Amino acid sequence: MKPSYQSFVGLSPTSPDVSTPRRFMLRLAVGVRTPIALGVAYGILTMLARSFVPIVTGIAIDQGILKRDQRALLVWGAVMFGLVVFQAVTTTLQERCDFATNIGTSYRVMQLVGTRSAELGATLRKRVSTGEVVNLGIGDITPIGQALAATSRGLGGVAAIVGVAVIMLISAWQLALTVLIGVPALVWLLTRILTPVRRKQRAVRQRQGELAAVAVDIAGGLRVLRGIGGEEHYAQRFRDKSQSVRHASVEAAGLQARAAAARTILNGLFSTAVVWLGAHLVLSGELQVGQLVAFYGYAVFLATPLRWMTDSIEYLAQGQVSAERVSRFLALERDLPDGPAGRPAQERAELADPESGLVFPFGSFMGVACTLPDDVATLADRLGRYTESEVTLAAVPAAELSLANVRERVLVVGNDDYLFAGTLGDGLDPTGRAGTQGVMRAAEIASALDIIEALPGGLGGESQAAGRNFSGGERQRLRLLRALVADPDILVLLEPTSALDALTETSVAGRLRESRAGKTTVVFTTSPAVLGLADGVWYVEDGKAVASGAHSALLADERYKALVTREADTA
Amino acid sequence: MTALPVASSKAVRRYARTVVLKHPKELAVALALQALTAACALVIPWLLGDLVQQVQSGVNRVTAMILLIFGFLLLQGATLWLANYYAAKLAEKVVAELREDFVRDVLRLPLSTVESAGVGDLVSRSTRDVDALTQAARTNVPSTLVTATTIVVLLGALLLVRWLMIIPCLLAIPLLWPNTRRYLSRSRDGYLRERASYAKATESLAETISGSRTVEALSLVSWRSLRLRDDIDVSYRAERYTLGLRSVFLPITDTAIAIPTVATVILGGYFYDRGWVSLAGVTAATLYTQQLASLIDVLLFNQDKIQVAGAAVARLRGVSESAEGTAGAHVDGPSPSHARVTAERSPRDLEIRNVNHGYVAHDVLHDVNLVVREGERLAIVGRSGAGKTTLGRLIAGIDPPRSGAVLLGAVPLTDIPRPELRAQIALVTQEYHVFDGSVRDNLLLAKPDAAESELRQCLEAVAAWDWASELGLDARLGPGAHEPTPAQAQQISLARLLLSDPHTLVLDEATSLLNPQLARDLERSLAAVKSGRTVISVAHRLHTAHDAQRVVVMEAGRIVEDGSHEDLLAARGTYAALWNSWHGVGASA
Repeated sequence: MKPSYQSFVGLSPTSPDVSTPRRFMLRLAVGVRTPIALGVAYGILTMLARSFVPIVTGIAIDQGILKRDQRALLVWGAVMFGLVVFQAVTTTLQERCDFATNIGTSYRVMQLVGTRSAELGATLRKRVSTGEVVNLGIGDITPIGQALAATSRGLGGVAAIVGVAVIMLISAWQLALTVLIGVPALVWLLTRILTPVRRKQRAVRQRQGELAAVAVDIAGGLRVLRGIGGEEHYAQRFRDKSQSVRHASVEAAGLQARAAAARTILNGLFSTAVVWLGAHLVLSGELQVGQLVAFYGYAVFLATPLRWMTDSIEYLAQGQVSAERVSRFLALERDLPDGPAGRPAQERAELADPESGLVFPFGSFMGVACTLPDDVATLADRLGRYTESEVTLAAVPAAELSLANVRERVLVVGNDDYLFAGTLGDGLDPTGRAGTQGVMRAAEIASALDIIEALPGGLGGESQAAGRNFSGGERQRLRLLRALVADPDILVLLEPTSALDALTETSVAGRLRESRAGKTTVVFTTSPAVLGLADGVWYVEDGKAVASGAHSALLADERYKALVTREADTA
Repeated sequence: MTALPVASSKAVRRYARTVVLKHPKELAVALALQALTAACALVIPWLLGDLVQQVQSGVNRVTAMILLIFGFLLLQGATLWLANYYAAKLAEKVVAELREDFVRDVLRLPLSTVESAGVGDLVSRSTRDVDALTQAARTNVPSTLVTATTIVVLLGALLLVRWLMIIPCLLAIPLLWPNTRRYLSRSRDGYLRERASYAKATESLAETISGSRTVEALSLVSWRSLRLRDDIDVSYRAERYTLGLRSVFLPITDTAIAIPTVATVILGGYFYDRGWVSLAGVTAATLYTQQLASLIDVLLFNQDKIQVAGAAVARLRGVSESAEGTAGAHVDGPSPSHARVTAERSPRDLEIRNVNHGYVAHDVLHDVNLVVREGERLAIVGRSGAGKTTLGRLIAGIDPPRSGAVLLGAVPLTDIPRPELRAQIALVTQEYHVFDGSVRDNLLLAKPDAAESELRQCLEAVAAWDWASELGLDARLGPGAHEPTPAQAQQISLARLLLSDPHTLVLDEATSLLNPQLARDLERSLAAVKSGRTVISVAHRLHTAHDAQRVVVMEAGRIVEDGSHEDLLAARGTYAALWNSWHGVGASA
């Protein structure tokens, strides 16, 4: 069986309870309950084994060395070794469980963020920037996973402290009391010391994130920088920010160094106190030398379970912060709610926008010529129901219909639609419903056969993120191709031929019209080659339809003519 | 997809060496402080050994000893403070250098390299790898130094206690050495794979976000979700692999480093019995070996993180080395024949000579020859995929031609240092990118010292002054603030271009997102702003060709027609066909 992160994660992929970060963490924890439980068990076992080592060492000294008993020495030496091997094995097992908890959960959260991003769709970019979400998916998943995995170490630490306390209670109650009172006091003090350090570190991390954002910005803008030669200036800007991060980091490091020194001194003070007390007990004959060595061992050793405990508390706190951010994101709702009861949209519906006066009867091939480019986007958003409006489908307000259903019936295709990385064929026909033949047919209509032929591997060839390995004109034809493969009832195309040369434009328009027979196609364009083929054309000024009719008839209108004819005026 | 280059382990070691040698004084101070800290830490068990010996023989000097121990403790704390501080200071310096070099070198990489690697690779390098490195440099490297120094001092102290007591420590080596070697030889590739596959998952997520509207439009939620799941799965398996390596490595190591502790007690007992060592000696040695075990543990834990950081450095340096390689190529570029001066050519004339070029497998351009005179307004037209954009990129010197040459005056573009080249020739495409920051930040990239009046002039020239001044030049652009429309973004690009004021402009569909009339006015004004400027436009809107002095028509990677608008119309060739079709079939008035 190939190991897969999913086998560790029992959460259903849809909507976990994200009402509070705590509940969200709990839900995630339930998903990895087996590795958490095992991890805690191994953590306790390994820590207990470790906490027996000093006392066994003490016994070996007392029984073996001081009494010059070779047999006892060998026996207790063997016990020591056995404990060590046991601890080595349980530690490894614990690490494996922690891995499943930590990495499994991290990836689970990444998956949740990804799925939610997809579900939010058009709403997403209005609410948050790409960088922010990517940051959630990268930066915040790790603390959440770590927080859950920290339970095994934290509880292991508690077990060790309890175990040591018991052993000490048996040997010398004075020392046991010192440890039992001293340890919590130490933990409290150390946490107090570390609080301002953590605060400072968080601030540094924040700035580091901003710095990373600048670097990420380069990835998108390199082409632009290259064109105008802004590289040097940009590098300088990055250097300035980087240096300010450096100074802040050094400042934080100063605080941290001071805290580390304080920690060493406090831990040392504590173990010295234990030894001081122990030495007096040896002198008064209540304790043996080997036991004193064991107690010193404990005083040093206790720093480890203590750190495990404080670390896991800290991890939990950090995880909580990240969980808060992630759950806030997961709780985002779409701008547009489904209509009441989500009525399905009628098939073969007439599309109309009362606000502008546009009407598209089912089965027509219509052109829309707008004087203002901004109108194109506004009208398309309304027609595709990307904003609240009075748009109707078969005279039913789109707002009352199921949104998924509207998406299925009406497809709006713009020039900034995204082309995904992966094999070209998969990207053009994600659902696989059209098959290779269907894709090739659509490619012919969109004049895109040459693109597929030129790509090494054809439809199986690699398309890069955002279709970067294609030219602007090629991307435009690929978007059209993808829309044709999706084959919706109503297809709204925004300037679909703006990046095509005139000859290609004419042939694409002709084939498009032919292939869309029996369905509605709306083309926003000012190209006479396309408008001339339309069943009817709407002429839009300031967001309102002011005239309609055949292209040839509308040409009598001077304003329409000025917009769509490409006659060269005398320059 | 071709990932960005990764540096070899040799190159990483070389780089590490350079870094070390670059800051000898800081490093020496940090190391000396750490050695001092280590020494203080070791005096304490030694004193404890004495204490045990004393109480065993009934001597009560406990309080004096404890005060002594306390004194060393304070000293240890003080030196630790300074040691950590100086180490961190040095680490921050080195990390800042590395990330700055990385960004500088990314900016120098050939565009095609970055584009074929994909944004995710670059993003994950500049975030996760830089992070891993920062973490390692801040914590693990100093900690390793402290630990290694402590181990050396500790072994020295053991020798002092009684040289015999070092024997038990040597027993760990036969197990520790081969185990560590085996692990290290495999883990580097494992960690590199881990990082690469993680980058892919990240890219997958970033794409879903960038394309979220498309995801909604085409109902691709489950498709994207599955894709991400698959990528995460690959990444998870890569992580499992290194976990597997650790699962073998760690228990063996833990056992190995426990051997000295056990052996010290047993052998120590034997030596004590023989009277070769004192009780104080055995006690101190036991405490030392216990300490040693935990030190080696720390060392190996750090080693793991440093290994990860090493992989990160390999990925970061890979970019730098590749950039250095390119820079080198630019320096030794010219073959003598190119340098020969061509007769009667102005230094601002462009010549494309016998150029063949392609990106992937086959050439897109074949035997292209073209001379563009200073101040000429040239339009390049042709069907989609004819090679116009490729030619534009070569003319702007973005890519060097595979064969042949592009000359500015008599100098091949590849010989002109990039900043100088950019001051002369600029390219603006339909791709736009608004950098995080204000309108002003975006413009100043082209000319950092531009005056306020210049900014205004440029924005006015691209008809963007109205909205830009209303918004405020210092208002932040981008998601969460004012998100510019594509047309506005294109205006910013053009204003940037005007500000950089090169004598030659290459516009590749640079105005395609503006409304046709505005686009046309703009292109005219670009040429008019400065007479004598050469403007080469690639455009589908044939207004551009009509307004140009000269039109070049491309077909299948070759120049097939060359002449003025009128001449080409009269010739009734490809251009005439395009022109007629552009006016709508038969609708030409």
